[in-house]
Parts: sequence; C-alpha cells; structure tokens
Amino acid sequence: MPTEVVMTSKAVDRFVTRLIEEGPVMGPRERRKQPGFAKFDWIESADELMLQYTTTTVPPKKAFFPPRQPLFEFELTVPPKITPLEEATPFTLVGVHTCDLAGLNMLDDAYAKEPAEAVWPAARARARIIGVDCMPDEYCFCFDTCAGREGCDLFFTPIEHGYLVEVITEAGEDMLRLSDVSRAREDDLNDARNFAAEKGQRITAGIRSSAGDFADILEEGTFEDLWREIAERCYSCGSCNTTCPTCFCFDINDEFDLGLTAGRRVRTWDSCQLQEFALVAGGHNFRRIRWQRVRHRWHRKFLYLYREFDHPYCTGCGRCSRACTADINIVDVSNEIIERARGSEQS
Amino acid sequence: MSETGHLDHPEDITAFYQPVMARVITKQRLTEMMVLLRLQLDSAEPLDHNPGEFLQISLPGYGEAPISFCSSPTQTKSFELCVAAVGNLSEAMHDLRPGDFLGVRGPYGHGFPIEEMRDRDILCVAGGIGLAPLRSLIKYVADRRPEFERMVLVYGARMPDEQLFKDDLDVWDAREDFETLYTVDEPDDQWTGRTGVVTEPLREEVQINPERTTAVVVGPPVMYRFVAAELLEKGMSEENILFSLERRFKCGMGKCGHCQLNDLYVCQDGPVFRYTDLIGRSEAIEVWAPEDERE
Repeated sequence: MPTEVVMTSKAVDRFVTRLIEEGPVMGPRERRKQPGFAKFDWIESADELMLQYTTTTVPPKKAFFPPRQPLFEFELTVPPKITPLEEATPFTLVGVHTCDLAGLNMLDDAYAKEPAEAVWPAARARARIIGVDCMPDEYCFCFDTCAGREGCDLFFTPIEHGYLVEVITEAGEDMLRLSDVSRAREDDLNDARNFAAEKGQRITAGIRSSAGDFADILEEGTFEDLWREIAERCYSCGSCNTTCPTCFCFDINDEFDLGLTAGRRVRTWDSCQLQEFALVAGGHNFRRIRWQRVRHRWHRKFLYLYREFDHPYCTGCGRCSRACTADINIVDVSNEIIERARGSEQS
Repeated sequence: MSETGHLDHPEDITAFYQPVMARVITKQRLTEMMVLLRLQLDSAEPLDHNPGEFLQISLPGYGEAPISFCSSPTQTKSFELCVAAVGNLSEAMHDLRPGDFLGVRGPYGHGFPIEEMRDRDILCVAGGIGLAPLRSLIKYVADRRPEFERMVLVYGARMPDEQLFKDDLDVWDAREDFETLYTVDEPDDQWTGRTGVVTEPLREEVQINPERTTAVVVGPPVMYRFVAAELLEKGMSEENILFSLERRFKCGMGKCGHCQLNDLYVCQDGPVFRYTDLIGRSEAIEVWAPEDERE
C-alpha cells in the first residue's frame, strides 16, 4: 500500500457512509442557523459532513472531553455504590485540522504527565482520527502546527477531483479497506503541494518571536501596565478558555437525580478567567483582580507550560481571538508585549 | 480494550477520579467548628502517606474536597482527618456517625521532607486550624523521637475554645523531650497561659540554633510572612523554613489548574514548600500581600 493515495469526492462520500455503518462518526457539520460555518457533531449521513470548513468555534477536544463529562454514577446505599461509566464504543473523528491535531496531542501530554489521569486516554483509545488540510483565515497563525500529521491515522489534502490521502498509521491503512482509492499521480501530488504552499502564504498573522524568546520575555518583564490596559476591555467571560483546544482545566461537582437517591460525579470545563477560579479557603483569592487573570492566561500558555512541555500551549488556531467580544487578539497582545520588551531593551 | 468491550481499568481506579470507601471508626468533636474523624479503608490497608500529604475526600452527592492527614503514618490501622464545617461537604461530614462511609482518593502531594529533617531540631509554628496538618508531623516525631533532636511547638489559637487537640496539647506539654508554647489572642476568664499572636512567644521565648533547625509553618495565609520574618531574624536561612499551603484542589494530580501558583501546582509540587521556592512567585499570597493590596 503506497503512503499516498487519491480518493475522489464521490469515493469520500462512500467511505464516510461505510464508516457510519461501522460505528459512530463525529466530524464538522454545517450549523443549521449559521450556514457556511461548521461545528463538530455526530454525522449520520455522508452529506452532513462538511470537510472543507473554517475553524469551528469549539475545538474537537470535546469528542474526548465534552464540556460536561460524567465520571461515575453513585447510589446512596450503605456503603455507597460507585458505578464506573465504561463507555467503550469505538468511534471515528473525521475532519480535524492540523492545529486541532496539535491541540489533541498537547492534551495527551498534559493528562499523561505523572500522576497520569485515565479518563482522557480511555476516550482517546476509542477513536480513529482523520485529519484534513484547510485554508487559514485572518485569525490563523498556525506556523508551527500547519503541516503536522501526528495524532491522525489518515490525512486528507484537497486536490482537484477529491483528496490526496496520506496513510499515517496502520489503523489508517486498515480504514482504507472501506474505500475505493487510486494511485496518486504526479498531478495529484503537485495539487497537494500547491495547496500546502498556498496555505503557508495565506497565514499572515504571527507572533514575532520564537517561543523560547517569548517565554523569556514574559518571565523577565512585568508588563503590568499592559495587563491592566487589556483587563479594562476584558469581560472575564472565559470564552478564550472554552474555545481553546489546549485549555484543560476543569471543575468536579456532584449531581443528584430527582429522586435524590442516586446521581453522578461530573467534570466540567473551567476557566481561569472567571473570578472564582483561584478562590481559596477563608475567602482569599490569589488572582482576584482581572489583570492578574489576563496575565495568568498568557503566562500559562507561553511560559509555564512551555517550560513544562517544551512548546507553548497554543496551536495558532485563533479561536480565542475570534471568540473575544472585546476584540482582545492573542497575536496582537503577544506582539505588543514583545515590542515593549524590545523597546525597553533599547532605551 | 478487552474483548468484552469494557475498558481495562488500571489497578488504580483513582486515576478515573473514583474514590475508594473508608469507614468512620470514631468521631470526636474538637471545637464548635471542628470534628476529628478516625477512619479505616474497607480493605483495612494503610494508605501509606507521608506527614503533610492530603486526600481528596468525598461524599456522594456533596462533592469532593482536599483534606490533609492529621494522623501520623506510624498509626497504620487507621487514619485521621480534622474537618472544619465551612461548606456543604464539610457540614455533611460533621453529620457522619461511626460506621458511615466516605470516599477517599490519594494520598496526593509532597509532604514534609522527613529524611532531611532527621537529626535536626524541629520548630513547628501552627496558627488556628493549621495545627491539623502539622499534627501528622508532630505525632510522627513523637513516635520516633530518637531520630530527631529538639522538638519545639509554638501554637496560637484565637480563643481557648478554638484550641484543637487539647488532649494532645497536654500530652506534648507534659513530655520532657518536647518544648511547647501555647498562646491565644483572646483569653477568657479561665485562661492562665500566654496571650498574644503566635509571633510573640516565637520572638521572645524561643532560642534556636539556626544552623540545626528546620522550621515548619502552617496557619492562615496572613501568618506566614510574619512568622518568616521572625525566623529570619533568628538567623535562619530561607531554605530551612517550610510552609504548607492550602488551595482548592479539584483533582490532586496537577491537572485541573485550580491550585496553580505561578508555575507551580500546589497539589503536586507542594503542598509543603520551602520559603525559598515561594520568594519571587507573586501568587504566593502567604509570602506576599496579594498584589492588589500592595499598592
């Protein structure tokens, strides 16, 4: 089996149909109330899949860690009975952009770090993933992640009559038995190379510093004036966190059924921008003021987690900037920090 | 995945955030706000904790919260937790009776560096309910007394009625090989001991050899920097001053993000830190006044 094959658009439809016959499929589906825009959802027929789409509002991490995720069920017997929720159905996640593949890989690392948690990898182990290449918009700045293939089993690049399909893993090769593919010709490979080249050219936004230098800048400077300026616009709504493919903070709470004799423990996405996030006993809050929380977000993504995992916890997807009602743009703010740091160096 | 379609659980179900059940053996009211629960795992196995570590405690329906051990690992058949009634979960824990069950996950965190503390003088400074986590260390030292040099305990409570572990305080006070200094901020008519905040007897009555001493400080956030100043005044170096911090851990595994203190996770890197580790970290509200109160 060659590592690159061609799947025509019609063949893709048949392929997706067969995937659906095999098991659940999640992928980008056009929003009913927002034509032209997609969200990750369960796909029930091949025509629902919108394989060429611009970045979704919510990243595909929700396939493995939904905003509200039951951990186990309990019954108030004596002793209390705990029933694990052993969801074991395999599924296929289709249509993941390269930035989002990077996001999933980052969450793999974060949750696997000792002491490892087991809920995320258990969900990951259920899924096959098909990546797809995309054209960036003005918010995208995915320089480091735009050509990544790690984390998917097959990777699709749009070409004239369908897709060039790269076989990344054995599981990917196995999936191709569901599909009619043809050998990739030189024209097809050229088409794909041109697509990648155009994608690279269309990425115009970018943080004007290496990740390492940016971490040093954040570590060495205070930038309190800037944080305060941004905080004056920030509503602390947490949209930047809830749309982020690399944010992995959560809360854990119990829910009762109406009968009040049973319920479940549930973990939910949480946001470091919400005021209660850093509240501790006795009413102390070590990030009570908004600018401290704004700063924390940058420090966590570009300094703390950079030092911990050797790359920033940002994929360049631009979701936080798109989602921000106060127009706080992650690239602009980062570049402002870099400029102020370099300015103060020169003066 | 196994052939039955069920996930193969790793041995440790707590990685799935599932608690194991422990049973209340005894319950003792210490103060109006505090009860002491002695517990045993259903399996009767020891949890094998180190002094200063904590458990995630839960009651189904009420949720989960971190609580430090207040018993020493030298007590192997059971373990003890001191619970302040401050929220839904802890109030429900106050209603537990012997025989009742609660869920535990852990132990988590890094406790006191016992190996490094052996053969040294130990100076414990406790404020309020900070005595509870410190008790795991004090009882450990008491049980393995020859392994340590001096043992000094300075304990400040707000009022005589709020003193925790009165029986223990008396036992420690009576020991020839313990030096104890107890004080209260607001004495009542019966109180005959010291009055004033914990830094006063520490400053006026405690002489130490700063080279040989490890100081361990646990109390309300506002206490730490004042105690640290006294200890530095006595010639101690920052690296021999240990603080145990309290944060609202949701996972205990460095994942949920709630306890992040600058680049540190209090639940994993701590909860016991050296003073050296906290200097230079702006979110250590125990060391610095919170940033918004500094101007």
